[in-house]
Amino acid sequence: MKDKLLETIDYLKSKGVQYADIRFSRRDVESIKVTNENVDTLSRTLDQGFGIRVLADGAWGFASSSKLTSGELKKVSNQALKIAQASAITKREDVKLDEGMVYNDHYKTPFQTDPFKVRLSRKINMLMKINQTLQKKSEIKIAESSMAFFKTNKIFVNTDGSVIEQDLMESGAGYTATAVEGGEVQKRSFPNSHGGDFMTGGFEVIENMGLQRNANRVREEAIQLLSAPPLPAGEADIIIGASQMALQVHESCGHPTELDRVLGTEISLAGGSFMSLDKLGSLQYGSDKVTIVHDATCEGGLGTFGYDDEGVKAQRMPLVDQGRFVGYLTSRETAGVVGQNSNGCMRADGWNRIPLIRMTNINLEPGEWELEDLIADTEGGFFLDTNKSWSIDDKRLNFQFGVEAAWEIRNGKLKTLYKNPLYTGITPQFWNSCDAICNKNHWHIWGVANCGKGEPMQVAHVAHGTSPARFRKIQVGVSK
Amino acid sequence: MIGKDRLFTTLEKVMADSKADQTEAVFLGSSVGLTRFANSHIHQNVAETNTTVYFRVAMGKKLGVASTTSMSLTDLRRCLRAATDIAKRQVENRHFDQFPGQQDYPEVETFFEKTAKFSPRQRATKLKRIFTKTINNNLDAAGAFSTGEGEVAVLNSNGLRCYQPYTTASGNIVIMGDDSSGYVNFVSHNIDDLDFTALSNTALKKCKKSKNPKEIEPGRYEVILEPAAVANLLEWMNFIAFGSKAFQEETSCLAGRIGEQIMGSNISIFDDALNPAGVPFPFDLEGVAKKGVEFVADGVARGVVYDTISGNKENKQSTGHALMPSESGEGAMPLNVFIKPGDSSLEQMISNVEKGILVTRFHYINGFLDTRKALMTGMTRDGTFLINNGKLSNGIKNLRFTDSMLDVFSNVAEISSESVSIPGWWDAMGCNHVPAMRVSEFNFSGKTDF
Repeated sequence: MKDKLLETIDYLKSKGVQYADIRFSRRDVESIKVTNENVDTLSRTLDQGFGIRVLADGAWGFASSSKLTSGELKKVSNQALKIAQASAITKREDVKLDEGMVYNDHYKTPFQTDPFKVRLSRKINMLMKINQTLQKKSEIKIAESSMAFFKTNKIFVNTDGSVIEQDLMESGAGYTATAVEGGEVQKRSFPNSHGGDFMTGGFEVIENMGLQRNANRVREEAIQLLSAPPLPAGEADIIIGASQMALQVHESCGHPTELDRVLGTEISLAGGSFMSLDKLGSLQYGSDKVTIVHDATCEGGLGTFGYDDEGVKAQRMPLVDQGRFVGYLTSRETAGVVGQNSNGCMRADGWNRIPLIRMTNINLEPGEWELEDLIADTEGGFFLDTNKSWSIDDKRLNFQFGVEAAWEIRNGKLKTLYKNPLYTGITPQFWNSCDAICNKNHWHIWGVANCGKGEPMQVAHVAHGTSPARFRKIQVGVSK
Repeated sequence: MIGKDRLFTTLEKVMADSKADQTEAVFLGSSVGLTRFANSHIHQNVAETNTTVYFRVAMGKKLGVASTTSMSLTDLRRCLRAATDIAKRQVENRHFDQFPGQQDYPEVETFFEKTAKFSPRQRATKLKRIFTKTINNNLDAAGAFSTGEGEVAVLNSNGLRCYQPYTTASGNIVIMGDDSSGYVNFVSHNIDDLDFTALSNTALKKCKKSKNPKEIEPGRYEVILEPAAVANLLEWMNFIAFGSKAFQEETSCLAGRIGEQIMGSNISIFDDALNPAGVPFPFDLEGVAKKGVEFVADGVARGVVYDTISGNKENKQSTGHALMPSESGEGAMPLNVFIKPGDSSLEQMISNVEKGILVTRFHYINGFLDTRKALMTGMTRDGTFLINNGKLSNGIKNLRFTDSMLDVFSNVAEISSESVSIPGWWDAMGCNHVPAMRVSEFNFSGKTDF
């Protein structure tokens, strides 16, 4: 395949394009879901094809096909070129790329056990056993456990001379117990909601999750929530659990630091960003406890890779440094706006999608607190755990999150369990109220395998390293 | 486009080698172009030619699914073997009986030559006219405009054969000023249904009208929800309330309440996949002919949609709402949802509001707060206005709502006679076709800075 791609790059050069790149991608996916001891999803998909991005007449064109022949590569090259020429009739200025580096490399995700070689019966048995534990009590009406594995081979070539091959492996699993009684529905999930937790790596990721040993607790908490009181509305100090902190970072720091959003190119769908160019370097985004980095190099993160889909090497850069907003997620086209080169955040959801600026691993650096000490240090408030719902405005300012469970903190101890907890705030005010973050013993890189952006819709695999953190005087519950 | 005869010949050749008790092949193919624009120029312009074949096989009651994007006979045979291999290692699905048998399909017009041939340059030319207008008005245009063609085929070993070609044209336009914006979106099988001048003028007018937005305090207000806003809410209802999985798992607000009055008596919501006013399609991805389904009739809960397996759980027939075989664990979902229109107009509704808010559309709704109550939250955007003494007044800064849709749809005072097709999550096979509504009470729980 690599030879065909290189031949096509030569063909595009002969057509006089300003720049072109071609990505071949082959992705194998295995999904298993067991609901109430019935295997209701068991599928393997093979998705392969190539996409060609052409810069001509100062504008972009992109075309893609699942047909892997030399003739099709040439046909699609011509199509991408024609599309670029069509784009150019509306251009207001020429697209300019940063200088870029040339690489010839092969990156592979380190892993111990190829999940595609693990027997299906073993995986099904693991999920069945969890289902059985969750369903030991009749209040649990739905027990749902799932696993998914992604194996991707990508070859990237461009007119600058880069030839990069990557073999990525991702594994994840999770489960949810849904208790239903008298019109009340309550859920508890492990290790996270919305499909569980994902990491780059092999089947060892699943084996290290402690899935089975948490199932009794998850079941009991779901049942307890049925009779728990609703979280009362008001202002309170809150400690947010690590997995919910991951979504908080995702929505209120990850997305608004995407430079394409800031420049308005995602405005019609996902929206823009309050973190405008004039605020770079000056906005006090959070308290001095808050440092957030983009790090595509950290071990095990779902946003870890060797090179992004423009052939830029994976990097680690600060976005928020001790509370001050200092960086964006960028691409080769946008980085020049802030006087930099790309920091390697262009990622595409497969061969048939154009790369967009996406999160990698956007990590909240750990603080110094043990969780037990932090709870003990909190006179009154709530501990909020595991995401249930999320919503944020189109500039990423006003957010509202729902979580599965909240416990009252009274005199430094966890007390009453509350159902249907919500909290809401305005992003910079919220992060400036952060006065404590737990240490690396409580820090974990949470994989988010469902980050949507772009048209046509692209689903990115990203991650957030987080630990529990405390925020003062936050609005909880909903005013009516 | 591969065409019906070549597709059937290829897939039948592969299925003839199947070692499974029952075999099903689902083909989805498309060639789609999408142009994205922002700051009044095109910044992304893409084309995709793709094919996917799903094989679902049954060994007794054990099911296996595999899919491939390759159409080579070697890869297709390998894919079928993979599905069979999975089925052998599966456990029995107690709700599976057999794949559907032969069906009769209504004739539905879904393919329009002009739409199929609509080129990137034609899309760019249409958009350039909008850009000229926005640049001349010191405004910006953003959005997306997609055109394309595709084909869907389902075959199974029970003799079921169906094939449908289609075209699609869809997108959205946002016109933006320094502190205001206006929005429209559109979808049809036929490009000739879309009047770009009128669409862009609507967005432009809203943008101009909403500049210098004023801040108002959250609280309970009378609201007018334009069709896009109604469709935003309805799209979540389709997901959390009207599908078989949510109903059978009792997380739907309809579960256990069939026959009960759950909304106002002026509300009827139904799926009608054959209605040419929407984006019709004759069958689902098991090849079952689409049937009309009432979710709510005159405010009374009536039912949900089913595929074969979820139907078997309740001894019911499939209603023709199966999704891709790889997603069968998610149950059936509605794709062509209508709300029965009323006899009012947008202007009449505005004139009946003493103090209230008009919402063009919502952003980032989430309906997982409490699905039994259909409790949702989300933000307004792209044209939120104050109404004073029966007149559209100034633009206002955006607000967050948190409210139960059972309450909202119980408080509908007026419904427009005109409905609009709003794109859903699968433009090729459906849309939400909805009117505007006046709701006497709607809970805004928060505000933002713009």
